[in-house]
Amino acid sequence: MPAWKNAERTAIGLTLLLTAMAAFAQTGGFRISELDIRVADQLVLADARIDYALSATATEALENGVALVIAQRLRLQTARWWWGDAVVVSQQRRYRLQYHAISRRYVLTRLESGESRSYRSLDALLLRLGRVEAWPVVRLDRLDTDTDYRLRLDTGLEVDELPRLLRMVAWINPEWQLRSEPRYRALSP
Amino acid sequence: MMQLPRQAIVRILLSVLLILSLYLLSAATENSVRFGRLYLWLLLINGVVLVALLALIVNNLWRLVRSVRARETGSRLTLRLMALFVVLAVVPGLVVYGFSMQFLQRGVDSWFDVRVENALDDALALSQASLDQRMRDMQQRLQDAARDLADVTEEMAPITLGDLRARTGASELALLGENGRIIAASSVDTANILPHRPEDSILLQLRQGRPYVGLDPIENAGLHIRALVPAPGPGGPGSSRVLQGLFQVSPRIDNLAAEVETAFSEYRELAYLRGPLKDSFSLTLSLVLLLSLLFAVWSAFYLARRLVAPVSRLAEGTRAMAAGEYGTQLAPGGNDELGYLVRSFNDMSRRVADVRDAARHSQELVESQRAYLETVLGRLSSGVLALAPDGSLRTYNQAASAILSVPLSEGVGRPLSTLVNRYPDFGPFVDLVAGYRQSPDSEWRAELSLDTGEGRRALICSGATLPGEGDRGGEVIVFDDVTTLIQAQRDAAWGEVARRLAHEIRNPLTPIQLSAERLQHKVGTRLNGDEAALLQRSTETIIHQVEAMKEMVQAFSEYARPPALRPQAVDLNALVREVVELYRGEPEQPAFRLDLDEDLPWLQADPGRLRQLLNNLLRNALEAGEAGHCRVVVSTRQGGGRFVDMIELDVQDNGPGFAESMLNQLFEPYVSTKPRGSGLGLAIVKKIVEEHNGMISARNVDGGARISVRLPRVMPDDVRQGNEQ
Repeated sequence: MPAWKNAERTAIGLTLLLTAMAAFAQTGGFRISELDIRVADQLVLADARIDYALSATATEALENGVALVIAQRLRLQTARWWWGDAVVVSQQRRYRLQYHAISRRYVLTRLESGESRSYRSLDALLLRLGRVEAWPVVRLDRLDTDTDYRLRLDTGLEVDELPRLLRMVAWINPEWQLRSEPRYRALSP
Repeated sequence: MMQLPRQAIVRILLSVLLILSLYLLSAATENSVRFGRLYLWLLLINGVVLVALLALIVNNLWRLVRSVRARETGSRLTLRLMALFVVLAVVPGLVVYGFSMQFLQRGVDSWFDVRVENALDDALALSQASLDQRMRDMQQRLQDAARDLADVTEEMAPITLGDLRARTGASELALLGENGRIIAASSVDTANILPHRPEDSILLQLRQGRPYVGLDPIENAGLHIRALVPAPGPGGPGSSRVLQGLFQVSPRIDNLAAEVETAFSEYRELAYLRGPLKDSFSLTLSLVLLLSLLFAVWSAFYLARRLVAPVSRLAEGTRAMAAGEYGTQLAPGGNDELGYLVRSFNDMSRRVADVRDAARHSQELVESQRAYLETVLGRLSSGVLALAPDGSLRTYNQAASAILSVPLSEGVGRPLSTLVNRYPDFGPFVDLVAGYRQSPDSEWRAELSLDTGEGRRALICSGATLPGEGDRGGEVIVFDDVTTLIQAQRDAAWGEVARRLAHEIRNPLTPIQLSAERLQHKVGTRLNGDEAALLQRSTETIIHQVEAMKEMVQAFSEYARPPALRPQAVDLNALVREVVELYRGEPEQPAFRLDLDEDLPWLQADPGRLRQLLNNLLRNALEAGEAGHCRVVVSTRQGGGRFVDMIELDVQDNGPGFAESMLNQLFEPYVSTKPRGSGLGLAIVKKIVEEHNGMISARNVDGGARISVRLPRVMPDDVRQGNEQ
């Protein structure tokens, strides 16, 4: 294939990427940029980098006192030829994002544990939210060595947790459709 | 019980479903947990229903427009009703909608008061200001503590930190090294060994030598003041140690701040959700209105059609009636006035049909009566004329035409007098009728002698006024041709006279003749001279006169009892020529003109009697004529018109014609205008004609008299048999 053709394709790809990024910034969107699996002490751990970008509408709602709930869903599944994938492990982390007016800080609360931290800026909060480190998935001995597993991670804003009035708008308005494409990582014990 | 049509049931079901769905939608719009999750589905379902209704309406509209264009019955009324219904439904709906929207917008906005908003903002600012003061105090305390740490090594730091924490009143003190590494920490909460790490951005700020103080809402621990100040170690200002202190806000202020925070957040959230709230209400309201309006419009089509249907049927029924389809029955409508109208129409239509049938029946009856009457009149031998009140001819029968010898068909619908111009012979009859019509009598009777083309006829007429509107309802005139009857009576009388005469006279004649002969025989020889001559003359006179009387009696006898007919095929022309030849040598030197039809068919008759007939006619003609100038025309021809089966023979002379007074009894015995006639000639002629079932007539023409004889070509069997007997 001629070199100029490669260059052209790259240019086109770059243009498309830039356009997509501009749109991403405007309308917001979640994207899982990395998903890694490591094993430590017989425990399968997942690390991930997620780029969270809230849309202008969502940010405005957050700053007006509306709490947003973002869920991260992790699933370990095996493929089945005769049916859909069988889910071996399914875990979920749900975070509430809130603006604290008196302290002018953004509070991130993990709903399962009630543990919370506040951040001076929304970006700092989102950056912290997007850093998933050592998420224990399963004990290694629970896995079948002959089977090929697949780890699946996806994340998204939970529209059902929005105030009821916003929910109706959220179902229709694409600015509220904030969810990532699932990302997969193969796991062979 | 009234049966609802299936379509109406479907519509009622649909409307119930629609109302239920709209209720659920509005319930979901309000803060109802139960229907909240259904909202999207309800929106979707109602949207589908909306589209379906729109499609139905467009379909109905298209059908309506098509039927209006095709000018179908009732389509324009449907369109008008439809437009009315739509206006009645849509206009109030839109007005209510407009006001509702306005109320909605204003109502929602009115919940949010600017003063409340400002007060909340102020409360927040006040809280923040109050806390800012405390934050600066805490920062100052921490900076003082940091100075105390200047000489403290990392090993001694935990002990010093404990003292400093007690002194500053912090809930947690932590000494952080490079990159936020914890050198030492002291906390009130002994369970929580690890101190709250500051964010990277704060550490970065510290590294630049700027202290940080801020509020930090810590879950389950309330509001804290977090302060970070540089804390140079024994290594001098170059070392990048940082002292972090967490100071708990007093519980009272913490509670107040929490309350302000909660109130402010909720109010902000509510204010922010105002837009979606209005949108949601507006959407539901619009959907409800749109669905209701579309349903109303759709139902308007149905209602308009349903209302117009009986009217359309009535219109079509009326049209059918107008086109003559009486008895048209429409499908029965409901129990309302329209249904009553349909029933009334059906009744009317049925009655009209009954009346029409009755009229048709009576017309047929009249027709049959008329045909019956015409048949009866046609078979009548009497003539019948019916005149209209204005005197014009209305009806007549064939016998009337035949008796009057006038084609009455030409005068139907016109006064009788119009026929007189073309048929002058008809005049006396018309005058007679006109005369009686003027008289006030309702019935009259008269005898009339009419000179027709077929001879003179004696008529007995009677007239009567017909019943009718006004004074006179027309006239019916019945007349009979009694010519034959009178003639027959006379013939019978004459026959009797002849028979008696023959009997009474013939008997003494022979003795008279014998006596006269004997007288001459016996006495003649004894006389002589003049006496003998006188006797001779006297007896001869007696004998001659007796002979003459015998002949006369013989003639009478023949008249009274004619010999039987011997009919055979006869060539009339040949017979005429033969008889005329006999008269050519007569002393009067008559001039004969024969106008004979060469194509004349032979006829069946007794040639001897025919010869006698011709003889009598010719003699009669010759006797009428002036000696020396006598001219006789004999013509034969085949009859025309209703006499097509007859042969006509005319004998015309150039004499003075018949006396008017004699015309009625011309064919009677001893009626003669001539001094030397026996008076039996024409009577015998008539008798011969009647024996042959023929007709004879006599009339005066220009320059003489004409006798016309019509003889049938073929003699009817009964006549032949009667004659033979």
